[in-house]
Amino acid sequence: MTTTKKAQEATAKKGQEMTTFGLAKEKLTVLNTHVHNIDGVAKVTGRATYSFDTKLPGMLYGKILRSPHAHARIKNIDASKALALHGVKAVVTGKDTLGIKQGIWRRYQELCDEQILPVEKVRYIGEPVAAVAAATEEIAEAALDLIEVDYEVLPGVFEPMEAMKKDAPTIHEGVERNINVTRHIEWGDVESGFEEADYIREDNFFCGGQAHMCMETRAAVSSYTPEGKLTIYHSNQSAYYMQALMAGVLGIREGDIRVIAKYVGGGFGGKFELDGAIFCTAILTMKLFRPVKIVYTREEDFIATKRRTPMHYWVRTGIKKDGTFCAREARVVSNGGAYTGMGATALYLTGFFHSFPYVWPAYRYDGYRVYTNTLPSTSMRGFGAPQAMWCSEQQLEWMATDLGLDPIEMRRKNGHYAGYEVPGQAYIASCGLDEALTKTKEWIKAKGKLPANRAIGYSAAGFMSGGIFNWFDTPYSFSSAVVTINQDGTVILHIGATEIGQGSNTTMAIIAAETLGVKVEDITVHSGDTDHCPADLGAWGSRQTLMTGNATKRACEDAKRQILEFAYAKMGLNIVYDLDIKDRWVHIVARPERGMPWEELCKIATRGKDGQRIIGRGFYTPHRKGMISPAYSYMMQAVEVEIDKETGHIDLIDSLTAHDCGTPINHLGLIGQLEGAFSMAAGYGYLEYMPYEDGKLMNPNLVDYKMIRATEMPETPIAEIDTYEPEGPYGAKEAGEGLTNPTAAAIGNAIFHALGIQMKECPVRPHMIVQALKEKEEKDKAAKGAKKGK
Amino acid sequence: MAFKCPVCKKQWNFSLQVARHIFGTGDKPHRAWVESEGESYADLLVQQATSPGNASYETVAKLVEKAQSKL
Repeated sequence: MTTTKKAQEATAKKGQEMTTFGLAKEKLTVLNTHVHNIDGVAKVTGRATYSFDTKLPGMLYGKILRSPHAHARIKNIDASKALALHGVKAVVTGKDTLGIKQGIWRRYQELCDEQILPVEKVRYIGEPVAAVAAATEEIAEAALDLIEVDYEVLPGVFEPMEAMKKDAPTIHEGVERNINVTRHIEWGDVESGFEEADYIREDNFFCGGQAHMCMETRAAVSSYTPEGKLTIYHSNQSAYYMQALMAGVLGIREGDIRVIAKYVGGGFGGKFELDGAIFCTAILTMKLFRPVKIVYTREEDFIATKRRTPMHYWVRTGIKKDGTFCAREARVVSNGGAYTGMGATALYLTGFFHSFPYVWPAYRYDGYRVYTNTLPSTSMRGFGAPQAMWCSEQQLEWMATDLGLDPIEMRRKNGHYAGYEVPGQAYIASCGLDEALTKTKEWIKAKGKLPANRAIGYSAAGFMSGGIFNWFDTPYSFSSAVVTINQDGTVILHIGATEIGQGSNTTMAIIAAETLGVKVEDITVHSGDTDHCPADLGAWGSRQTLMTGNATKRACEDAKRQILEFAYAKMGLNIVYDLDIKDRWVHIVARPERGMPWEELCKIATRGKDGQRIIGRGFYTPHRKGMISPAYSYMMQAVEVEIDKETGHIDLIDSLTAHDCGTPINHLGLIGQLEGAFSMAAGYGYLEYMPYEDGKLMNPNLVDYKMIRATEMPETPIAEIDTYEPEGPYGAKEAGEGLTNPTAAAIGNAIFHALGIQMKECPVRPHMIVQALKEKEEKDKAAKGAKKGK
Repeated sequence: MAFKCPVCKKQWNFSLQVARHIFGTGDKPHRAWVESEGESYADLLVQQATSPGNASYETVAKLVEKAQSKL
């Protein structure tokens, strides 16, 4: 360890100890325990109402007509036959809209390129063309067949390398060579770095797309009243984003739109942009003044939403013989599909996280996102980082093996540490990578010798705890919370965060209970309703625990300060005494037996305020926290894999997850999040494949699109690496998204160690293993022959 | 020697860094300057994206060096 590294780590540790000292004095009673989800009973008993379940009086059912062509001009749409069908109430097309192009990058008009229900042309198979509202779903479905669309079919282009060629069709007018956006990151002297290296390696990789596969498909119910108020029940990751984006495309005020997303059946990065369901139901209800519901079928969810961004990666890495990293250069060309969406952010983040979790003296990244006539690609759990780690962690493993180095120790030698600054990008205040490496090493050692064709692979990664980027250009704070204390001691917490099944409402209830000194069952959480909850950017980029958590903590501190003023007055204390509340007991810190019940204090305070309830407010917006995130989590994923050499079939036998999430808020929540992330990420590594033919997805169903099943899941023991993150509420940071990043690469590394083959395309499918083994055998034979010849 | 961006006049120690800045910014004025020097911005970008090495950056870096006397 260098002197600088030691000094930086010591400074960061000192800062942590100071904070920990303050925390140690303050005994935690709720936080860092096992708490069941507060909405668990409602969910398992079916009481929880998702958008999918919403029914309103007089409600109609909608269906969307989709383009069968990857690229075509819309010459005419004739809906007269559909309108004549009994039960059909309306048909809408692009001509019924304001024709506004929308996108989530509101700061940059050129990136707002998607018109849901386009007027001029379609750019991918499955793009909405028209929508029907009818008395029943069956009638709406039948009406779709009666809509006649006259297309002029245009040549399409489906691969980014082809789309950049001079003679390729133009997908968006005015966009030269179909290049959507480029992103560049650089620090240090890359050329000199490579000159210093003893070993330089270059590899080309490809990472495929992945479907978000939310249990609840896209669904919306919209209702417009003659008073000009639009209410939307919608399955999304950010009610506030939906409200603002809908206001933009409908030309009405944000405040006249209420978006409700109380229960959401998964998001994974695919539900914070507008979709056909929300837009078409709104257009239809504004025409009919009757509620309209659209629920996507599973096939529609596959072909007409968005997907993880497929990426072509070129990586060049230079290291010294002793394993010291010198320089890295990476270049990415991503398949953007038809529209920008969140793809521009994924393009930046893949480049940023490709450097993680290591100290690179010199680093350069160039990313190019290219439009094609395929399903748009966007953010998905990991936000570009799983692709980055697939390439980085495998190449490093191969290089360590070539140099005869211990790959874990090579990672440790170059790993991030508390106090490190990623040049111009990020400051690392807490880092549990070192301990995660140690836990992984211990686990591997305990496994002993493994049978033939079986091996352990592992991979490291790091991830953000809340994205800073304000692409949305909002004037509101990133997260805010309002807490109300009732006279009986119960507490109502309003947050703008979205509970998408990840347990954020439970997390906020725990933080509120801990801060106020009450129990979790005292807290009622309201979230995901723009009329009643403060604005919050929502559930993406692992931001809720840190950002909404800080807002919640601050709101509760505000309320606690107010209510303790009444306790001071009632108890007639000397001013030097500190008061606190724990387990509903308001007491002097130095003499805990002296105090009063919380409920009694709440009554006194309410009376003292002339009947007004105490209300606390809190908000959080990161400032001076670098380009990307206020904090970073670190993790190691190890996987034991067995491969059938005849068929190429992969079996996951066992695994270990070592995750640094700062202070865990809720152990049960943490376990659930990490298991879920493992399952999704392992699926990306060897199962979930999206083959396209001329722009058409060939497996849009759960029979042909393979996901990991319960019987295929190995044991997933977790080694919690507890650090203290100064920027997080009670020292907490993300858990659940970051672990999506290392897993595919860990599987790739296990295959390498089991069979000696290097897999460069993800997901790894059986035929690829068989082919690689065949090539290896031929290569080995040739080498033997050459040796004999000598 | 310091090299200035011919468009926005920002300054770096190496002409290659100015070239990277021009590609990284990629807005209309920067694209237009590359075109005015007789090169196709899109062609250079595609070449950079699809082939190893820094040929496109080097091409623009040479243009930047030539332009310094006029700034």
